[in-house]
Amino acid sequence: METVLSIKGLTKNFGRLRAVNNISLEVKAGQVFGMLGPNGSGKTTTLGMLMGVINPTSGEYSWFGRPPDHEVRKKIGAVLEHPIFYPYLSGQKNLELNAKIKECSTQNISNVLELVELKDRRDDKYKTYSLGMKQRLAIASALLNEPTVLILDEPTNGLDPMGIAEIRELIKKIAANGKTIILASHLLDEVQKVCTHFVVLKRGNMVHCGPVNDASKGSETVEVNAEVENLSEVLMKFSGTESVNRENGFFQVTLRDDFRGKDLNKFLFDQGIIANHLVTKKKSLEKMFLEILSETN
Amino acid sequence: MLHLLQIDLKKLFSYRTFWIVCGLYFLTIGFSTASGMEFLKWLANTFDKFGSELNINRIPLYHFPDVWLNLVWWSGFFKVLLGIMTVISITNEYTYRTIRQNIIDGLSRWEFLFSKILTNFLLSLASVVLVFIIALVTGFIYTPEINWNYVFTDLEFYPAYFLEIFTFLSFALMLGILVQRSGLTIILLLLSYMLEAIVKANIDDYFPWLIQFFPMESISALVPLPFYRYAFQEIQDYVDPASVAIALGWAVLFNYFSYLKLKRSDL
Repeated sequence: METVLSIKGLTKNFGRLRAVNNISLEVKAGQVFGMLGPNGSGKTTTLGMLMGVINPTSGEYSWFGRPPDHEVRKKIGAVLEHPIFYPYLSGQKNLELNAKIKECSTQNISNVLELVELKDRRDDKYKTYSLGMKQRLAIASALLNEPTVLILDEPTNGLDPMGIAEIRELIKKIAANGKTIILASHLLDEVQKVCTHFVVLKRGNMVHCGPVNDASKGSETVEVNAEVENLSEVLMKFSGTESVNRENGFFQVTLRDDFRGKDLNKFLFDQGIIANHLVTKKKSLEKMFLEILSETN
Repeated sequence: MLHLLQIDLKKLFSYRTFWIVCGLYFLTIGFSTASGMEFLKWLANTFDKFGSELNINRIPLYHFPDVWLNLVWWSGFFKVLLGIMTVISITNEYTYRTIRQNIIDGLSRWEFLFSKILTNFLLSLASVVLVFIIALVTGFIYTPEINWNYVFTDLEFYPAYFLEIFTFLSFALMLGILVQRSGLTIILLLLSYMLEAIVKANIDDYFPWLIQFFPMESISALVPLPFYRYAFQEIQDYVDPASVAIALGWAVLFNYFSYLKLKRSDL
C-alpha cells in the first residue's frame, strides 16, 4: 500500500515545555487513522506541524513520499481544532475564497454544501451559523478540492448527539470512498466506530500505535443476569472466570484467555441456570486506552 | 501574482469597514484638497489684515505646475487612514486566526505576506491616481491661462508620493505582524512620528547626519514642504535621489522583517 504520510522523530518544544516528543509513524493509503490522547497530549500540535503552521523543533515528515511544501497542502483537506472562517463573509464566499487558495474549481461548492446540508444557509454570514453548522462548513471546506487525504481534529467537538451522529456518518461515507482520513479525537467511542488504525499520545509521547481490531482482541467480558440468588457464587465457580463485578444490576464476568461467552453459557446451563441476559462484550477501545495510559504511568 | 492579489481583495471587498475607511480617505482628501482656495478666502474675510497684506488671488496654490506638489504634499497627511486599513486587514487575520487556515489550505507564508504587500501596492496606486485627478481638475479650474509647458512639469513628485505611501503601508503591515492586536498597532502607528521625533530631538546635537536615515523622516523628505516658495521664492522643487534610496531601503526592510517574523512564528 502506498504510504501517504511518514513521520520521523518529530519533536516540538514550546519554551521549556516539550509538546511533542520524537514521534514516528506511517499512515498508508485508505486507512482511517485515529489519534487519541487526553487534552494537551500533543495531537493538535502534531497536526499543526504536518500542515505547516507550526515549525518543528526537530524531526521530519513527508507527504506522499515527498518533502513537504505548500503545494502538497492544497491536496489535503484539513480542519484543525475549531472551524476558522471570515465571520463577515457568507458560507458561499468563504468557500469561494478557499477554492481560490487551493486553486481548485468553484463548481464543487454546491456539491459539498449539499453533502453537509448547508445549501439553504449558503448566503448567510458565517457569524450567524450555529456551532454545528460551522463544523459542517469546515468539513465542506476540507472536501472542496476532493482531497485524497482528510485531516479532522475533533470534528464533533461541541456538537449535540444528533450532530455527532451526522458527522460520524459523514466520515464513514467519506472513508467508504477510499479516502485516507486522519482523525484526532478524545472521544474514544468515535474512533472505535470509524477508525481502522490508531495511535495514542500522552504528554507528547507516542505510547501505542496499531490497528483498532487488535485492541479488541484478548480477553472477553460477559454481562450476565439470571433469576438466581447466589449467581455471583456460581459464576466464581466457573473455571474460566477471572473476576466478577456487579455493575448496573448485571454481573460483569471477565473471562480468562481461551474462554468464550458460549463456554460460560454452557456452564450455567449445566448448573441448571438459565440466563435471562447474556451479552459478550468486546474490550472497548476505552478500556484499552485507559490501560495503555495507566501502563505508562 | 494576480491570483494572490485576488485572494486578498476578495477578503476586503465584502468587508464593510474596508469601504468605510477607503470612503473616508477619498472623501477627506477630495474635499480638503479641492477647497484650498475657499479656505484662503475664509482667512481673508475673517482677518482684515490677511487680505490686505497678501492678495490671495496671487497665491498660485492651484496653478500648474504648483498644484502637483501642493496637493501631493497635503495628501501625504492622510496616508495614516490607509495605514489603519492595512493594520485592520492584517490584525483581523490574527484575531480570526484565518492566517492559520490560509496556510493550512495551501498558501505558503511568503504568498500570504505577498498578497498583503500587493494590496498595499494597489492602495498606494489608487491614492496616486486620485490625487493626480484632483490636481488635474483643480489645476484646469484655477489656472488663469493654461500654458501646456507647465501643465505636465514637476510630475516626478507622483512616483515619490507613491513611494511615500507604499513605505508607510509596509511599515503598518510590519507593525501589524509584530504586534498582532489591532488597537495597540493603530496606537503605535499613530505615535510613530512622535516617537521618532523624540529620538531625533535627542540625537540632533550629536549625530545630525543620522537624522535623514530615520524611516518617518525619510518618507517625509520625499515630498518637501512646498509653501516656502510663496515666502522665500526658492524651494527644493525636485525629488532628492538620496531620500528615494533611503525610503526604498526602508520599504524593502519593513517587508523583509515582516517575512522573517512570519516565517519563524507558530501560527
